[in-house]
Amino acid sequence: MRNTMKMKRLSGLFFSCLLLIASVVMISCKKEEIGNVDNIPGLGGDDWAKTPVDDWIFTNITTPYNIAVKYKWDQFEFDNVIKTLVPADEAQVIPLLTSIDKGWAKPYVEEAGKVFFNKYSPKLFVLSGSVEYNLDGSVTGGQAEGGRKIVMMGINRFKIKGMSGYSAATDSVYAKFFIFHVIQHEFGHILHQNKNYPQEYKTISAGKYYGANWINYNDRDAQRDGFISAYSASNFDDDFVEMIAVMLMEGKDGFDKIINSIPEGTTAKGTTRAQAQAALRQKEAMIVAYYKNSWSIDFYALQKKTRAAMVSMF
Amino acid sequence: MKNSIIYLLLVSIGFWSCENKDESVFEKTADERLNEALGTYETQLAGSTYGWNAVIYPGNGGSYGLYMKFNDQNRVTMYSDFKDESAKTSKESSYRLKAMQTPTLIFDTYGYLHVLADPDSDANGGSDGVGLASDFEFAIFPDSISADRMVFVGRKNGSRLVLTRATQAQQTAYNNGAQASAMAFNNISKYKVYFKRITIAGVTYEITVGQDTRSLKMTWLEGTTVRNFNTTYYFTSEGLRFKNSLVNGSTTISGFNNVTWDTSRSQVSVSVNGATSVIGTAIRPLAIDLNAARRWYNAPVSTGGEWRSVSGFHVNGVDDAFGLRALTSDSFPYVVYLYIPAYGSNYDLFAPAFFEDGSLSLHYGNAVRTPSFPADGRIVFSERGTLGDVPTTGPVAQMAAQLYESTGYYLIQTSEKTYDMVNAKDATVWINWFRI
Repeated sequence: MRNTMKMKRLSGLFFSCLLLIASVVMISCKKEEIGNVDNIPGLGGDDWAKTPVDDWIFTNITTPYNIAVKYKWDQFEFDNVIKTLVPADEAQVIPLLTSIDKGWAKPYVEEAGKVFFNKYSPKLFVLSGSVEYNLDGSVTGGQAEGGRKIVMMGINRFKIKGMSGYSAATDSVYAKFFIFHVIQHEFGHILHQNKNYPQEYKTISAGKYYGANWINYNDRDAQRDGFISAYSASNFDDDFVEMIAVMLMEGKDGFDKIINSIPEGTTAKGTTRAQAQAALRQKEAMIVAYYKNSWSIDFYALQKKTRAAMVSMF
Repeated sequence: MKNSIIYLLLVSIGFWSCENKDESVFEKTADERLNEALGTYETQLAGSTYGWNAVIYPGNGGSYGLYMKFNDQNRVTMYSDFKDESAKTSKESSYRLKAMQTPTLIFDTYGYLHVLADPDSDANGGSDGVGLASDFEFAIFPDSISADRMVFVGRKNGSRLVLTRATQAQQTAYNNGAQASAMAFNNISKYKVYFKRITIAGVTYEITVGQDTRSLKMTWLEGTTVRNFNTTYYFTSEGLRFKNSLVNGSTTISGFNNVTWDTSRSQVSVSVNGATSVIGTAIRPLAIDLNAARRWYNAPVSTGGEWRSVSGFHVNGVDDAFGLRALTSDSFPYVVYLYIPAYGSNYDLFAPAFFEDGSLSLHYGNAVRTPSFPADGRIVFSERGTLGDVPTTGPVAQMAAQLYESTGYYLIQTSEKTYDMVNAKDATVWINWFRI
């Protein structure tokens, strides 16, 4: 009985002790600062001695367009850290960016103005020297992240006319596939995410989309179903931006050629040649109207300039 | 009394907590120490006036020699022994030190080092998506760093990069193309005879070089006992270096210096420990593996399958001497040549396979009598007949005629599932067999 009393008193005291300790600790905590934060390594990003390449990027890309270019290796800019990639070759950086300026930025700036372009263009380009090899044997040539960042891969093998070892047959396909297609496609997404395209676009090929199954089709198959590429048959948005990318890169003649070369016959989805051609024409018309109404851009003029730039480089 | 003890306790607790100023056991904060470490490593790299000799050991098991000169402006200039051009002409790229989980050295734009890591098989002959499993981001561990030697570990594939401080003479040698001169050793692939020998300090060694994997094997006889030594090699400004040294009694061989290639005689000569030796040829192995022929013959019989060769016979310095790559049958393309022991009850099949409807297909072939195995380790093939419409001229006829050469062949096991079959007549004809 006596013992229990003592216990009670003690535990009461013990509790007030705890309180006191806590307040002491709190007081001493108050004095603490978070310490010297100026010294955290890498705070504010990596930095290095500037080279002529850095100066060129600053003058020609960052200042006029407000786009940063990360050509030095940073593993964390790439989604899949398991995959093997290599850094960009410095000698490739200026030729690559000059071509992108010529084949994508300038035509838009000339047709739509700098205010439009600088507002909607992605703000960061990340370069990888090699492409990414996937387990199914395919390769990835680029990635985009939320309209802000575009990753361009395989740039060490990028070549335009005049560069040593240029081959018209393979290099134009390579540059289109790994560089220009990625940029035009992603910029298309940025545009419709800001001002959506008319709902009617989705009805043109309704019921014919392949969904995730698009990887089992090639572009020729997809064109017979009224899609410009297999990927464009994956969903409405990609249909819309694939159309933009192909029309701009191939020009009016190139696009017409694709439509005219669709062979006779009916596909498994029940699309006839005439239906496929009509669908593509309807999509074309709707995109031209969308550019006019939403952005006051003359699409055909933009297409002409883009195509002319592509022809001059490849 | 009890109360005062408690108060005393409280007071002392108060003092105790006041004194706790969260002192670090280190004099500086982690960030300060990290920055200091990064700074020290950069100073050390850039501070070597004559640069660094470098060797990298990628995940593919090979070894490659480089030279690197760093400056304090994040620039690095390299030579590399991967190709003649990269040993002759230097290339500048960039590097930086960065705090990751450990202080890290990153070669952050493409240079000669990256060729080995490139996932594009065209760049290095590795496999797509992996390359040679090399690295360009390296973790730095302080216990692997000393004044004249820095060892780094690759972050992705665990390759080891070893830098040793270069001398002025070494720097000058690299700039004068000495590494490229040492690579004249690669001309050994132009020898027309399969077996190569070199005599060093009175001992004759058979030397076998695998250029794709940078492997080198030396075989010698100690009395009647066969000794083997295996290493990988790389090139420096001084010559060809072994990863491990060969020790044979009082002789230690750590590489070949003063490598020269005599074009008129098609001979490589080198100096070892100050004495010059010519790499000569021999028409038979130094130590004949007496059971190799039977092992080769029995391997597919016991486990199923067959021996395959893509480019057929190599004759007098020419790969695919009979032009198999252009062979077709009913317009189906040739894929691989097969040797199937015990194909019939008393004959083997020697035939090309064609690619037809997504798989390998046999259209015709030579029936080979069950071979004979003389006691000296050879295998001798002879004709029994033909199966199907075997062409009487062209690559297939030439392949059969060569196989039936009456001296027969020695078999050299090069790995678990690969053999080289070398004509015993003069060792200028051979074929590489593999099994899957």
